[in-house]
Amino acid sequence: MDELDLLKKDWQKKEDHLPKLSYQDIYKMIWKKSSSIVKWILIISILEFTIPHLLYFIPSTKSGFEFYENIGLKYIFLSLTIIQYAVVIYFIYLFYKRYKEISVLDDAKNLMQKIIKTRKTVKHYIIYSLSMIMFIFLLVVIGVYFSDNLIESYSALVDEPIDLSPTKLKKVVMATIAIFGTLFTLFLGGIYFLLYGRLLKKLKANYKELQKLEV
Amino acid sequence: MNKDLEHQFVTELQNNQNIVHKVCTLYTNDQDAHNDLFQEITIQLWKAYPKFRGDSKLSTWMYRVALNTAITLYRKSKRSIQTQDYESVIFKIKADEYDETQEQQLKLMYKAVKQLGDIDKALVFLYLEDKDYREIAETLGISEVNARVKMNRIKTKLRTILNP
Repeated sequence: MDELDLLKKDWQKKEDHLPKLSYQDIYKMIWKKSSSIVKWILIISILEFTIPHLLYFIPSTKSGFEFYENIGLKYIFLSLTIIQYAVVIYFIYLFYKRYKEISVLDDAKNLMQKIIKTRKTVKHYIIYSLSMIMFIFLLVVIGVYFSDNLIESYSALVDEPIDLSPTKLKKVVMATIAIFGTLFTLFLGGIYFLLYGRLLKKLKANYKELQKLEV
Repeated sequence: MNKDLEHQFVTELQNNQNIVHKVCTLYTNDQDAHNDLFQEITIQLWKAYPKFRGDSKLSTWMYRVALNTAITLYRKSKRSIQTQDYESVIFKIKADEYDETQEQQLKLMYKAVKQLGDIDKALVFLYLEDKDYREIAETLGISEVNARVKMNRIKTKLRTILNP
């Protein structure tokens, strides 16, 4: 194509018109913080790994544990916690491994693939976490259903007199927990997919374009 | 990181800064975005510099890091792409060197290239920089045959943009 070759000649003549940065300008730049996608994935992932664990430090969660104990879920929760930590450690290890594999020196396609893979690890972690949260809410609902001393344990939790019949209270508590659990899970999932959807939209489009070429 | 490495890196980048400026020119639409992308590329180059062993040419290595940053790592949106003013982006073409029609044609060409997608731009950029298809293919991670096919498609695309 003649036009593109014409452009090429012109392009190469333009070197003199480019900005010229001084040694000092460039030196200052190497100490600035990166704002790359990979950096953001790292930050968001660290938050995702830590935030659920910070919840344990909130006092209401602690009294929540007493509540679980009263409705007979103590040992189930203890074993779930152990499993939970094992899984989190495994995910952190996997994430770290994938993250380390990302290199700006790779070719464009590989680089994009590795970023997507790293993000996928976090995605799997999130899906696991969300199912776990749902499962715990479900367990609590079941625990409430089978408990005989709900009124005592419930009033210990809220310090308010209750003027409901035991069966009615049971239904109300179960429904509240179920609704809250579903909304909570949807909310967390929504935030997550929104965050990454925005962050990786461009990258995914570019990756698809390169991938399409190879088929 | 020691002082020698810093000094070596900054000097090398200062001498080869044109490569980075050219990538920024193609991928951004105003001076702020240009500086922003230049800075991000500089950070990525600096982070990768200790791993640069000199088994490839420094410029080849810079092309790769700069394009990877522009296509993959850089996060700023480029929404204003359709409405941007050509004059503010491309350095002025010296009128006396060209006849009227050729100048007009070049203007249109630059405008058309700026409208291409990220990947297409990378191919055009490497082509304009006189890289062969092998290097284009290696930089993007596709086969040489596919790089050729893609380049032909881009040429057709540019032709349609120029002669609607």
